Amino acid sequence: MSFVYGAQNAWDMLSDEQSQKHITTGSGDLNHILGGGIHCKEVTEIGGVPGVGKTQLGIQLAINVQIPVEYGGLGGKAVYIDTEGSFMVERVYQIAEGCISDILEHFPHSHDKSSSGQKQLQPEHFLADIYYFRICSYTEQIAAINYLEKFLGEHKDVRIVIIDSVTFHFRQDFDDLALRTRVLSGLSLKLMKIAKAYNLAVVLLNQVTTKFTEGSFQLALALGDSWSHSCTNRLILYWNGNDRYAHLDKSPSLPVASAPYAVTGKGVRDAVSPNHKRVRVA
Amino acid sequence: MANMPISEMRLPPHLAHLLAARRLDTAKDVLSLPEVELMAVLDAGLPTTRAAVAHVSEAACPPCQTALALLEECVRLGGGGRLATTLRGLDEALGGGIPMGKLTEVVGPSGIGKTQFCLKLALLAALPEYYGGLDGRVVYIDTESKFSSRRMIEIGQKSFPQIFRQEGLAQKMAGRILVMRPTSLADFTKSLEQMKVTLLQHDVKLLIVDSMAALMSLENEKATAGFRQHPLRWALSFIKSIAEFSRIPVVVTNQVRSQSNDDGYHFSFEVDRKDGNNCAERFDSHLIAALGIQWAHAVTVRLVFESHSGHRFMKVAKSPMSPAVAFPFVVESSGITLLSDEGIDVTGPEITSIRCQGQNVLAR
Amino acid sequence: MMSQDQPSTEDRCGRFWNGMELLKDVTEKKHLLPTGLEGIDTLLGGGLRRGHLTEVTGPSSSGKTQVCLHSASLVAAKHLGVVMYLDTSNSFSPSRVATIIDGTPDLFGHKAKGCEIEDVMRSIICESVFDIFALFEVLNQLEISLSNDKVNNGGSKICLLIIDSISSLLAPIIGGKYPQGRSMMISVAMILKKLADEHNLSVLVTNHMVSAGNGAVKPALGESWKAVPHVRLVISRECRSNICTATVLKHTLLASGSTVKFTVPS
Repeated sequence: MSFVYGAQNAWDMLSDEQSQKHITTGSGDLNHILGGGIHCKEVTEIGGVPGVGKTQLGIQLAINVQIPVEYGGLGGKAVYIDTEGSFMVERVYQIAEGCISDILEHFPHSHDKSSSGQKQLQPEHFLADIYYFRICSYTEQIAAINYLEKFLGEHKDVRIVIIDSVTFHFRQDFDDLALRTRVLSGLSLKLMKIAKAYNLAVVLLNQVTTKFTEGSFQLALALGDSWSHSCTNRLILYWNGNDRYAHLDKSPSLPVASAPYAVTGKGVRDAVSPNHKRVRVA
Repeated sequence: MANMPISEMRLPPHLAHLLAARRLDTAKDVLSLPEVELMAVLDAGLPTTRAAVAHVSEAACPPCQTALALLEECVRLGGGGRLATTLRGLDEALGGGIPMGKLTEVVGPSGIGKTQFCLKLALLAALPEYYGGLDGRVVYIDTESKFSSRRMIEIGQKSFPQIFRQEGLAQKMAGRILVMRPTSLADFTKSLEQMKVTLLQHDVKLLIVDSMAALMSLENEKATAGFRQHPLRWALSFIKSIAEFSRIPVVVTNQVRSQSNDDGYHFSFEVDRKDGNNCAERFDSHLIAALGIQWAHAVTVRLVFESHSGHRFMKVAKSPMSPAVAFPFVVESSGITLLSDEGIDVTGPEITSIRCQGQNVLAR
Repeated sequence: MMSQDQPSTEDRCGRFWNGMELLKDVTEKKHLLPTGLEGIDTLLGGGLRRGHLTEVTGPSSSGKTQVCLHSASLVAAKHLGVVMYLDTSNSFSPSRVATIIDGTPDLFGHKAKGCEIEDVMRSIICESVFDIFALFEVLNQLEISLSNDKVNNGGSKICLLIIDSISSLLAPIIGGKYPQGRSMMISVAMILKKLADEHNLSVLVTNHMVSAGNGAVKPALGESWKAVPHVRLVISRECRSNICTATVLKHTLLASGSTVKFTVPS
């Protein structure tokens, strides 16, 4: 019984939601403030100052989404839209290795499993399931987002779309700001639609800028106020003393909270005691 | 792809005619209009408009690759492509050296050794492969007239005495460096525009811009405040695309300025701790990079050169490959030399800070 | 032409009302739907008025969606009717709704039990809408089913329509040199007000706030939208707390300018 074709009632949505798995960030503390990890069917914006680890987290999610179902993951694939050229494939390989070694640590008996499971747990296998688009202008970015609808229809096992960063080209060379706002609001609705229709997580990495509010300059995410409404969740990465922290700034279902995390040689992990000597990348 | 003519996209004829009739000639023309405005321009219904957008988007979207294919390509091109700096500790931290196809920035106060570092890189890129170089030409954009062939040869002779004993090698190396001295930003962008061709023609293996900030500050005095960022943005995307399509390392230097009170360094939700512990962390002379936060976002690797505790340090402040480490260094007649190849781990705000304490402030 | 012979009130061309009838209409039919957020209910003289279009505006993460989720949950929990929730930003959170319902006593002061929560949640119907054309389509279907009166979800009628957020649907189409976008916005406004009035719905929409330059903010939908809602409410949230401030910008029945603080229970 429904008033509108295709509408769902909240009870059915609740049971759908409860059966959903979330994409782990690699850090338990971070997962905790995110309600288990990055959620499918939602658009999550991640912003932060240069070098704080946005791209690292983006790559980590592209790897973690592929953790096979038998090891508690989603077993999905990833689309990575790189607008800045910051995707370093050697680093992706390292993070994939780190992810695999953690899986093997948690499931010590997996060595006995069938050879097919072993074959899955190869870094090459993880890399083969990341679809990479290199975008060089805002026109290409709009084209890619439009084309995604068709692409995802043909690749139904994609569970995450990462755009790193959503900001770059729009900040470089879009002159008419009012038009930019309209185009961006159209894009954000398309991303929302993709997330919902294909049951996947959309993660937008965003740069920060300085903004004049309440008599002083503060850091804020780029692209303006209108854009700030166009995500379901917003996570801001920042430095708190000597540690990297993530702050959940916006979420319809979770309280505002902060948690520490670390970027190690293996990827994004929990922050450990402050005296911990960081693993050097060989 | 963005400027691809619609006529080459092999659209269904009725859509191609419709777009042509409205003078929408490129993907950019079509895609930078919101849907409703495009409907108005085309005077067409929603299904037609959406079909046109879908076709144009598919044609204009760059091809998709898997990360594995990227890795294989990397391996085929020789181990990811690095320009070794011969500073062993730094090379290890960066996974082999300055990455090709990426933008690497060197930032630091004046006189710390940025240009020395650039000269050394220029020399290394010019050296024959046999000696660990790239055996190529170097485009050196020298905005402050600091490039000195004599100094570069001196660095070469002191660092590789056995090689430079060869007759005429020094001249040959110096001849491989193409120095450009643009006098204005327009001049600079013009030379950049012509560069893609040059790069292909001359086997250029390294592009150095020393310094980017000087060029921009030149321009700032003329331009109005609102327009200020614009040429920088343009130059930024252009330099990045050169790096990527020519697969060469691009190194730019950036100056510093002192931090003014207006510089926002906190998010609004951090407000309560602004006055607290953070003041203690402020260093006696606090400097920030002259090109702002947007620039910092765009560089792939950022090396900070700074001085404190009586030493000069080079610090890997941003790199997708490695954690933040610092190396003490000195500038000798043979150029920059690391005092230790064992990096010092850096954490927290120290990673991004730039310190400049006089050399006389020695360790207590 | 035909309608002239029919005294029935379903005529779309409008009918004449006298003051007494209007008063009766207001006092009897158009009562209030509680939002469950005490401050807002007080501010609005009891809650969202049926037949009215209420707009909540505020900066990003100020609590607009929370107001919507609370209103939807409370109306459902008190068995006042069915709630239609149109979501443009994938922000409708069923788990959050379940939590709110769980903490809400029903009309008789009893707490809802497991099976009741199911019934209550079944009376909140959610649909995702991602462009203006889809919105027209949904509103059209809604109008047809309301007019037919055949579909009545377990005997109860829709009493609350929520659009979170209307401005994200309208933002891509307003402005620019073509008039089409603006006329679409006007049509949306007319359809919403008509639905509210004819079917005695309360309509709740959210509107973004954007920078107005010099550090101030203003609602995203500008001058021509301003006249549409009966009630405009602006909310803001204090940093790192769940204490919100709500201010009446405009109210057709009450004085505007009054402010209240309220907490969004976590």
